[in-house]
Amino acid sequence: MKTRSQRVALNTAGLVVALLFFFPTYWMFTTALKKSNEILSPAYDLIPLSATLDNFVTAITKPGFTTFLTNSLIVTLGAVGCALAAGLLAAVPLARMRFAGRRGFVLLVLIAQLAPLEALFVPMYLIMRDADLLDTLPSLLLVYTAFTLPFTIWTLRGFVKGIPVELEEAAMVDGCGRWGVFRRITLPLLGPGLVATSVFAFVTAWNEFLYALVFMRDQSKQTLPVWLSSFRTAFGTDWGGVMAASVVYAVPALVFFLLVQRKLVAGSFAGAVKG
Amino acid sequence: MTATVDTVSPAAAPPRAARPHRRPAGRVAPYLMLAPAVVILIALLGWPALQVLGISFRRLDLGELVRGEVAWIGLENYRAVLSDPEFWVIGLRTLVFTAACVVATVLIGLGIAVLMRHLDGFVRVALQLALVLAWATPIIATTTVFQWMFDQRYGILNKTLVALGFDGFAGHSWFGSGASTMTVIGLLILWQAVPFVAFTLYAGLLSASKELYEAASIDGAGPWQSFRTVSWPAVRPLLTMVAFLSVLWDFKVFTQVWAIKQGGPDGDSTTLPVLLYLKGISGSHFGVAAAIAVLMLLILVAVTWRYLRLLTRSPETEL
Repeated sequence: MKTRSQRVALNTAGLVVALLFFFPTYWMFTTALKKSNEILSPAYDLIPLSATLDNFVTAITKPGFTTFLTNSLIVTLGAVGCALAAGLLAAVPLARMRFAGRRGFVLLVLIAQLAPLEALFVPMYLIMRDADLLDTLPSLLLVYTAFTLPFTIWTLRGFVKGIPVELEEAAMVDGCGRWGVFRRITLPLLGPGLVATSVFAFVTAWNEFLYALVFMRDQSKQTLPVWLSSFRTAFGTDWGGVMAASVVYAVPALVFFLLVQRKLVAGSFAGAVKG
Repeated sequence: MTATVDTVSPAAAPPRAARPHRRPAGRVAPYLMLAPAVVILIALLGWPALQVLGISFRRLDLGELVRGEVAWIGLENYRAVLSDPEFWVIGLRTLVFTAACVVATVLIGLGIAVLMRHLDGFVRVALQLALVLAWATPIIATTTVFQWMFDQRYGILNKTLVALGFDGFAGHSWFGSGASTMTVIGLLILWQAVPFVAFTLYAGLLSASKELYEAASIDGAGPWQSFRTVSWPAVRPLLTMVAFLSVLWDFKVFTQVWAIKQGGPDGDSTTLPVLLYLKGISGSHFGVAAAIAVLMLLILVAVTWRYLRLLTRSPETEL
C-alpha cells in the first residue's frame, strides 16, 4: 500500500507535469487577451492583470475570415467523412475475411504510411492541374482523404479485430444477416474506434499547410492555416493579434477533441494497436 | 485469425471438389468493399509515388515543367545529391534528431502513463485535460506560441530566467545556433507527440487486470518488480508500435522545422524534409527533390526494417 507521503509526492509530480503541458495553451490564451503595449513590455507578466478582446476583434474582422473558416471546415470534415467511409469498408474485410491479395494490400497500407507527403507534391500538383481541380476545394479534400486513409484503415482494422468474433457469430445464429450483424453488432462496438480514428484524420487535415498554400492561388479558396501565416506577415510582431488568431484557429480542434475526449481517455486506443 | 466470418479460401489454393459450393457473391464481396480505398490509394498515393520515382531519373526544372519536356538523365540526380557533402551532414542530423525525439517521446510518455495510474482522480483528470489540450492545438498555432515564448526580447522564458537571477539570459537568442534551434524544435515536437504516446500506453496499462497487481503485491513484489512483471508485458507491444510510428512521424517532420526558422540559422537546423522543400519547391529542381524523396524512403525502410519484418511475419498481425 502506498503511504501518505508517497501519494502526495506522486500527485505533486502529476500536477507539475500537467502544468508544464498546460502552459503553452495558457500562454496563448492570456497573450491574446493582453493589450499590445502590455505584451511588448519588459514587465514580468505571468498572470494577466487586465483583459481586452481587441485582438480577437482584429482577428475575426480581418477580411475573409468566415470564408477561410468555412473552407477549412468543408475540406476537413469532408476528408474525415470520406476517409472513415472508405477506411471502414476496407477494414472489415481486412480484419475478418480471407481472400487472395489481402496480405499484399495490408503491406501496401503499411508502406503508404512511410511516404514523405511533401515529396508527392509535384506529381500531385500535375494531377490536379490536368483534372482541372486547382483552386477548388475538392482537390484538397481528395488529397487529405488520401493522406489519412492508410492510417485510418490500419487503425480501424485493429479495432475490428478487437471485437470478439463470437458476438457476430451469435448474432448470425440468432438469424441476423451479414448486414444486420454489421449494423447491430460491429458498428456500435466500433464507435470508440471510429471516434479515435476521426480525431487523427481531423487533426491532419485541419493542420495541413503546404498543399493548401500551393493548390489554392485564389484567395477566396484558402484555408485557416494559410490565413494564420498571412496574418503573421501582415502584422509583423503583433503577438497579441497572432495569438488571438491562433486561438480562433485552435478552437474548432479543441472543441472536437473535448467532444470525443471521454472516449479517447477511456482507453479506446487499445484497439489501434492490435497490429 | 482462427475464426473468420467469411471463409472464402485463398485463390492461391485451388478449390477442392469436396468443399461445399460457395456463393460467388461471397468471393467478390471483399474486393467490392476494398474498391473505394484501393482506387483512392492507387490514384492519389501510388501513382504520384511512381511518378516521383520516374522524376528522380529526369531533369525537371521549371522550364521542363512548363514545356512538358521529358529529359531522362539516369542517375545524375542521385549522383548530385550523394556527392554533396551537405546531404550527409543533413542526413546525419536528421537521424540524430529523429532518434533523440523518439527516445524522449517514448520515455516521457511511458513515465506519464505509469504516473497516471497512480494519481488521485482529480489530479489525473487535470493531467489528462492538459495533455488533450496540448494534443489538440493545431501545429501552426503551437509553433507560433513557442516562437513567442522563446522570443528574444519579450519571451516569457527569458523573463523568467532573469527573474530567477540568471541575468545572462536577458536578450538571449534561442534561435542563434543550430543546436539551440533544434532543441527548441525538439521540445515543440515532444509537447505535441507525448500526449498520444501517454494515452496509448496508459490504455495498455489499464488492460493489465487489477488482480495481477494484487497477486504480485501478495507475493511480495515491490513497485519495480510489479512494473517489470505485470505492467511491462502489457505495454511492450504498444511501446514498439508507438516507437515505430514516432520514427515515421519525426523523421518526416516538416511544418514545425520550417515554421520556426526555415532551417536556419545558416541552414544549421535544416533536416531532410526541409532540404527536399528547398530544392524542390523553392529551387524548382524537382528531379533532385524527387531523388531526395526516394533516398528518404530508403532510409526509413532501412531504419524500420526489423520492425517491418516483424509485422509481416508475426502471426499476431497476420497480414
